[in-house]
Formats: sequence, C-alpha cells, structure tokens
Amino acid sequence: MPGRIRAISWSQILSPVAASNTTQSPLRQSRLPRSCLSANLTPADPAQPGERLSSNSPPKADLFVTCIIDQLYPQVGVSVVRVLRRLGVDLSFQEDQTCCGQPLYNAGYSKKARTLARRVLDTFEDSEYVVVPSGSCAAMMRVFYLDLFRDDPAMLKQAELLSSKVYEFSQFLTSVLGAEDTGSTYSGTATYHPSCHLLREMKVRDEPQSLLRSVSGLELTDLPGAETCCGFGGAFSIKFPHISEGMLADKVENVVSTGADTLVSCDMGCLMQIGGGLSRQDSEIKVRHLAQVLDQDHSSNS
Amino acid sequence: MDRPLGVPKAEFLDSVRRALDRKPAAPDPAYPRLLDDVSALQVEAKRIRARLIETRPALLDRFAEVAEAGGWNVHRTSDPENAMAHIQSVADSLGVKNAVRSDQEVFAQILVDAPLESTGISVTTVSHSPDRSRESLRSSIIAADIGLTGADYAVAETGSVIIMPRKGLSRLVSVVPPVHLALVRPEDLVESLDDLFLLRRLEYHDKGGEMGSYLNFITGPSRTADIEQTLVVGVHGPKEVHLVLLG
Amino acid sequence: MADIKTKDFSKASAVSILDPQLRRALRQVGTGFDAARRAAIDEVSPKLWDEWREEARRIKIHSLDHLDYYLDLLEQNVTKAGGHVHFAKDAAQANDIMAELVRTRNIKIATKSKSMVSEELSLNPALEAQGVDVYETDLGEYIIQLAEETPFHLVAPALHKTKEQVAQLFTDKLGIPYNDDINALAAAARLALREKFLQADLGISGANFLVAETGTLVIITNEGNGRLSTSAPRIHVGITGMEKVIPSLQDLAVFLRLLPRSATGQRITSYVSMITGPRRADDEDGPEEFHLIIVDNGRSKMLADPDLREALYCIRCGACLNICPVYQKVGGHAYGWVYPGPIGAIVTPSLVGLKEAQDLPQASSLCGACREVCPVNINIPRMLLHLRQKSAESPDPSERSAGLVPNLLAEGYTRVMRSPALLSASHKLGRWQQNVWAAMPFFPFSKKGGMIRKASLPLLSRWTRMRDLPELPKETFRDIWKKDLKEGP
Repeated sequence: MPGRIRAISWSQILSPVAASNTTQSPLRQSRLPRSCLSANLTPADPAQPGERLSSNSPPKADLFVTCIIDQLYPQVGVSVVRVLRRLGVDLSFQEDQTCCGQPLYNAGYSKKARTLARRVLDTFEDSEYVVVPSGSCAAMMRVFYLDLFRDDPAMLKQAELLSSKVYEFSQFLTSVLGAEDTGSTYSGTATYHPSCHLLREMKVRDEPQSLLRSVSGLELTDLPGAETCCGFGGAFSIKFPHISEGMLADKVENVVSTGADTLVSCDMGCLMQIGGGLSRQDSEIKVRHLAQVLDQDHSSNS
Repeated sequence: MDRPLGVPKAEFLDSVRRALDRKPAAPDPAYPRLLDDVSALQVEAKRIRARLIETRPALLDRFAEVAEAGGWNVHRTSDPENAMAHIQSVADSLGVKNAVRSDQEVFAQILVDAPLESTGISVTTVSHSPDRSRESLRSSIIAADIGLTGADYAVAETGSVIIMPRKGLSRLVSVVPPVHLALVRPEDLVESLDDLFLLRRLEYHDKGGEMGSYLNFITGPSRTADIEQTLVVGVHGPKEVHLVLLG
Repeated sequence: MADIKTKDFSKASAVSILDPQLRRALRQVGTGFDAARRAAIDEVSPKLWDEWREEARRIKIHSLDHLDYYLDLLEQNVTKAGGHVHFAKDAAQANDIMAELVRTRNIKIATKSKSMVSEELSLNPALEAQGVDVYETDLGEYIIQLAEETPFHLVAPALHKTKEQVAQLFTDKLGIPYNDDINALAAAARLALREKFLQADLGISGANFLVAETGTLVIITNEGNGRLSTSAPRIHVGITGMEKVIPSLQDLAVFLRLLPRSATGQRITSYVSMITGPRRADDEDGPEEFHLIIVDNGRSKMLADPDLREALYCIRCGACLNICPVYQKVGGHAYGWVYPGPIGAIVTPSLVGLKEAQDLPQASSLCGACREVCPVNINIPRMLLHLRQKSAESPDPSERSAGLVPNLLAEGYTRVMRSPALLSASHKLGRWQQNVWAAMPFFPFSKKGGMIRKASLPLLSRWTRMRDLPELPKETFRDIWKKDLKEGP
C-alpha cells in the first residue's frame, strides 16, 4: 500500500508553472466588449495551469465555501479544507462571506445580485486565489460577474481581477496545484455527474474524473446521459417542479443503471436534487462531493 | 401594378437604422467578400481551376464516394458507349416509356436519343421553340418516367450536382419525373462549396450582374423523416437518382 | 399574428409532460436528430466545426450590424433581376401585401413550402380570407395543416404525431383507405399534393438566407416541395424575416455546411435552391413574377437591444430544441406560439411581448446545452437571464412582470445575505422550525442519513413532493471553522 502514496513535492506541484509562466497573465485581460457583440465573455483560460509567479512559497488561497455548503453540508466544507491543507495550501476563510448572488442573478434581480457581488469583490480583493467547491458559484464569480458589471467600468475592473483568481475546487487541484494524484483512498464504485456550469461555463470536463481515477480502491463507471442537466437549476426546481422532476427522474434512472454505490459531483445543488430523488426511492446510493471522496488519505485511513 | 406595397423602402431602412443607431453608410472597412475587384477574383479562379485539373483523379474518387453516400446510384466510366449502355439498362430495368432530357452540351458527347428510341422509348428534349410550346413540354415532363440532365457543376465536398436552369435546361425535368439521371463530366467538378461560390461570383460579375434565375443543388433522392423520424425517399421529388460520372 | 397562448405555459407543460406518446416522440429527438448531429460533427472534426461556427457568427454579426445597408443592396439586386421587394413593418401589413398580390393577380390556389415566418404571421387564414386555397406542402406542415395545429418543432413540425394518427388523419381528411405504413403515407401526400403543385397559380416559400450581393433567395429542403413551389406556379412570393440577409455569395458556403448538419446530421440536404428574380425571357419554365416580402414584425426592437440582437443570428436549425432537457420534457406546443425550445424562449417574448410570455425565459435550468450546440454560438442562457432581468427590474412597466412574492423573497434574501449575523440567525430559526415540525405528529416526517424523508411540509411541498430534503445541520461550516479549523489542522 505505501507505494500508492505519491508524495507531492513543491517542485512537482509547481513544475507546470515554470513552463507556462510566459503565457499572458490573466490579470491583464483586455476590457470585454458588451455582451452581445462577443461570442463569449472570455475569462482567463482555466486550462492554463499555474499562474503563480513565485515558485517556492506554498500557495495562499481563500476558501469561498458557498452558502449551500455552509448552511446545509458543512462536512463537505471540512473535507475541502482538509484536502487543500493536505496538499500544502495555505488556506484561509473570510468569516464575513455569505452568498455570491447567483440565486438573485438567475432570477433577474441583477441590482440585488450586485449588492452581494460587491461584498464578494471586497472580501477577496487581496486574495491570491479563491477556491470555490462549486462549479456553479465559481462560474458566477468567474464568468457572470463580468456580465453583471458590464455597464460599470470601475467595478468591471475589479470583477475581472477576481475572475482571474477564482478556481473551482477540482480545477484548482489540477490547474494550479498540478495534482494528478491526491493520494486518496475510497472503497467503492463511483459514477460522476458533471454539473452544467462546471462543464459549460468553467470548461472543466475531465479534471474531476481524472482525480477520481487516481483514488485508490475506487472504481469509476460511466454515467449514461452524464452531460444532461439534473433539473435542479436553483429556483427553477420549485418554479417548475413538474419539469424539474421529469429531468430528475431521467438522471436518477441513469445513476441507478450504473450499479455504482456512490454518485460524485462538484456541486451540492445538483447533489441535493439527485440525492433527494435517490433518497425518495429508498436508494442506498450515497451522494458525495468530490472533496469528500478525496478527503481520506492513506495515513488517516481507519 | 409593379409599385412596391407595404412601407416605402426608405422608411423601412430608416427604422432599421434607428434600431442600430447608425447613419446611412457603407460598412467601413468594406466587406472583403464584396470588393468589386474582378481581377482579384480572376486570379483566384485561375488558381482554383489549376488545382482542380491537378487533383482531378483524387477529386473524381472523392466525388463518387460522397455522392454515393448522399444517395446517388453512381456509375463511373470514361467510355461513352459504356455510359450509354448503362443509361439503357437503367431505362430498361425501370420499364421507361417516356423520357425527357435537357438540351445540354453533354448530350453531344453521349448520344442518348437514338439508342433509347430504338428500344421504343419516346425521348423529348425540353427546349421550347416556335413549334414546341412551353405548355406542351410541361405535359411531356409530367408524363415522363425519367428525366435526364447534365450538370453545370458538381461539388466533391457534398456530392452535389448543380444545375442552373435556362434555355434548354428546365427546372422541372430533374424534379417532376420519379427518376432523375444526371451526367457529370470531369470538368464539371469543383472541390468545395468555396470553389463553387467563388467561381459563381466571378461569372456573376463577368456577366454584368446576371445570376440567372435559378441554381439548384441536387444531392441524392427526395427524402423526408417527418413521420416518426423515419426516413422515406421520394416524397415530392424523385425517389431514385442515378449519376453517370464520365471519368 | 398567430394565436398567442404563451401565458398557459405552466399548465400546458404540466399536461404535455405526462403524455406518454409525446414522451416517446421526444425521447427519439435525442437518439435521432441529436445523435445524427454529433456524428456529423465528429466526421468533420470538432476543431474545424468550431472554426465554421466562428466564421458564421462573424458573418451574422457583420450582416446585422449593417442590416440597413445590406437590405438596401438586396432590394436593388432583386429589382435588377426583375423581382419586386415589399417591406412590411408588422404581421398585418405583410398579410395585406399578400392579400393585395393575390387579389390583383386573381390567385385561386397556392402551394407553400415550409416557412416559419408565415406561421408567425398567420398567413394562411389571411389568404383563405381572400378566397385562396393554400396547401402546405412540406409533409410535416401538411400533416399539421390537416390537423389544424401549430408546428411542434422547427425542423420536424409533426414530430409529435404517430404514424397511426397520421393515417387516421389522412383517412378523415383525404378520404383514402387507412394505411399506417409510413412509405404509403408519404406516397399519399405526394399524390394529393402533386396535383396542387401543377394547378397552383402561386407558390409561397420562406427563405433560409438572402444574398445581398446577387439578390438571391436561398431555400434548403429535402422533399422537393420547395423546388416545385418555386418553379411550377406562375408567381413565386418569398416571405421572410429581415434578419436573413448575408452579404456575399461566398458567405453561403459556411452556412450550407452548418445548417444541414445541425438540423438533421446531413452533410447537405437533398436540395438547395437559389432563386434570383423571375424566370428570364428564354427560360424553359419558372414563375413569371417574383416577389419578396421582407418582414420586421418586432425584429427591429430586438436589433435595437444589445442584449437580444444575438437572437437574430439564429438559422432555425432546431439543434437547441433537440438537446434541451426542458423541450424534451414538455415538447413544442407548451411554448404557446410559433417558435418553441430555447431559441423560442427568447424570440417569442421578444416578438409577442415579455409580459405576455414571461414564463418562457424562466422555464430553463440554464444548463447551457443549447449554447454548446448552436451553430452560430448564440449565448442563449445569457439572453434568458437578460430577459429575466427585464421581467424583474425593467423601468418599462410593459416589460416588468415579477410579482409581489418573488420581489419580497428577493428583498429578504438580499437582506439576510448582506449580513453574516442575520444568516446565522436564520439558520437557527430554520433549525427551530425543523424541530417543531419533527415534534408534530401530523407532518409525516422521518430522518435517515441526514435526510428528512418523505416529508410533506408547508411551503416546501414543491420540493418535497418528489424529493427528500437534507436535514439542516446543527452547526454551519462557519461555526465549525471557528471552532476546529481556523487554527490549522
């Protein structure tokens, strides 16, 4: 067993950084034009690993834990902290953080969303990295803030700065830390549900699954119809419950069909929806955030 | 009677300009694909034609393959007699009694009329004249079991036969009869849609801005999947299409 | 304009979602159209595909940004080719133009190839009022015309009908013996309509593209009805939205690559017809007159709105419908007007009024699959959000429609989230409420593995009717952080 544990040295973690230091800093993103004329608001390319400038100090990161984890799934937050610290991240948590504003933004209340977004921008103004254990909230901060402040040049500048520092959890692990194997162990068969915003706004497609493949004792099986939405969609799930439930039923059917005992995702919103559906069917399938699966390393395995 | 109806153009365009918050002006910079530099088009066309000649064998292979995949029954031959024999066998197997054909150059190369007529098939060349009214020709087309045409172009990228109806080339010959047979010569072939549209642009400008009334791409049989997403061939157009590739 | 039933979205979708036949038909959309689309893209390589999408998008951006110029150029070139261009600012005017044309030309029978704009305008009733018999000739359109319905899908209007239903319809309306073989049904339509093509005085078509440089109308079809409608009758009228214009003949190539592949997975459709004016003096056949009716009908409003202009780039391929998990559940009719699916959820409110169709932009989980498949890369989710913003906050009362309850919820949510202290307090309140419920015998309630199971709770029933709820934990993450994590592991 000890052979499985891959100690991650700083030089290993930071090696991709040296190679890509010449790439344009995302901090120097050009001003984005008004939404309609550009195909995409293009935040910093998350595929570029390692924007770290210094190569020796451990990376300093702030955790944006998200309100759903804070209020409903605190143990997921604990796992996030443990995994990041195990990988040597100097992690802080700003205690006055609340919500990124996405529920308001999605409901069309952009003025109110800006109120909350301004708090976030202020809170993380000096952060080196902001790690977000949710593809959806990360997308809000990385992508949608640029839309939210499109008519306010001063705030847009601040939003662009934050955008370049925000990473979803699995993306931070792979792109910034360069982690291929977190030295984790988990016993069981898992299948992975890619959340929509992680997939399509954050462009994180393979990272979580490659991390899962490195987990000792975990067998990963493909989820049919993986990239189809689970039907959560925040307020959508209660505004149009019949449609949301229809989408959920398909997702649950597909999850059950894999025979996996654990469903993994990077968004607790989706997992609340799918987990709620599985539980209602008396399914024994566990739902886990990626961080919970990566949480157990060999040394603490008991 | 020819006066435009609805809102006057100027008023309509004004409302569009208001929406765009824009003054009347040509795009600046000018749109590259609209530059009236015919000599540049000629240079490009020359380059295309040279490439087409140079790559012709591969192009013929590609066209045959893509056309077949697109639903054409492709027969390749560079021998006019073999081509005629094939046309005859298609007509025989379908039990054709009445055929219509266009009046295109390729029929000077492949002489279809006499052999077909010798087997009792009536062949009408659809080209109006003082003796042959459009109405009588239309009746012939409606009565025909097969329509034969050449091609003005053929596109390897899509497996399409392009026809540009005009005097001697009816629009209906290739769509009304239940079977269409097209003869394609190697020199008809272009590689891509880009080639086709560049060459057409040049022709358009060469002819002082005359496009011709119609240009039709034909790729395989008429088809639909409108009932239960199930493919059916031969709805309003031909259900069977043959392509004789002369090279 | 076509009847607007967009206000019924919630009710209509709740009914359609339970219809087993619709569910079967809609499941086929993913396995049929969308699988074919994917295969076609894999064949060209996703990288090249993305280059095409970008090129198409650039062309659309340029065309729409200079729309006045290209409409002018188009009009000049259609006129030069001997055609007539008429501009209509709304549906009523477009129908008036058509009425005037059929009246002055003594039209009795018209055949029509597929045109979404004519559905939008409700052109058929307008023609019928002039005593014209209008025949839809696209097989799917013909079926829904006989059934007196509206299109269920942009590309396959009769997708929701089974072959048995079509057979019964043909028996009832055409008086032919019942036969539910699909080939036989297509043959019956061919027979019935062939006669009409040859009798018709007028052929009506839409347009997929209009080429300004040459004054050419382009239609992309598979059945051949488009060729017949534009060739056999003595008059051809093309009717289309003003956004269809592109500058150059060379611009057409990329759209001919994108549209068929996105719509049906075909490399190219059976037919692409490019029509420039009426038949020339020496031509063998073709219409003696060519008219083009260019319709605004609300499009200039979309053009003027930088948040909505992008929707005018749409080439009506239907790929966003085929991938949309909401469309796949509710189907096309629930959207209540002519344009269904994700793009319909933008176009419909823009053309019929946001207040009239306020549910449509809300009825999306914003999953973004539509944008991912769009051949012109239209950011549909972003526009849905912008429409939601108008609903919630527009200064224009004709657009603002959010009710008191959502407004109060949003206000309350903002106040709580602005203050970490209030957030902690609300967590405690929630815990208290949870304990109260747990203590009450009349709320069925069980806990297992951190879940509140099979509960039927007031206020939460829209969630709990099919899903369990996570139990509100004793401590929040910030409590645990302060206690255990702050000082490091």
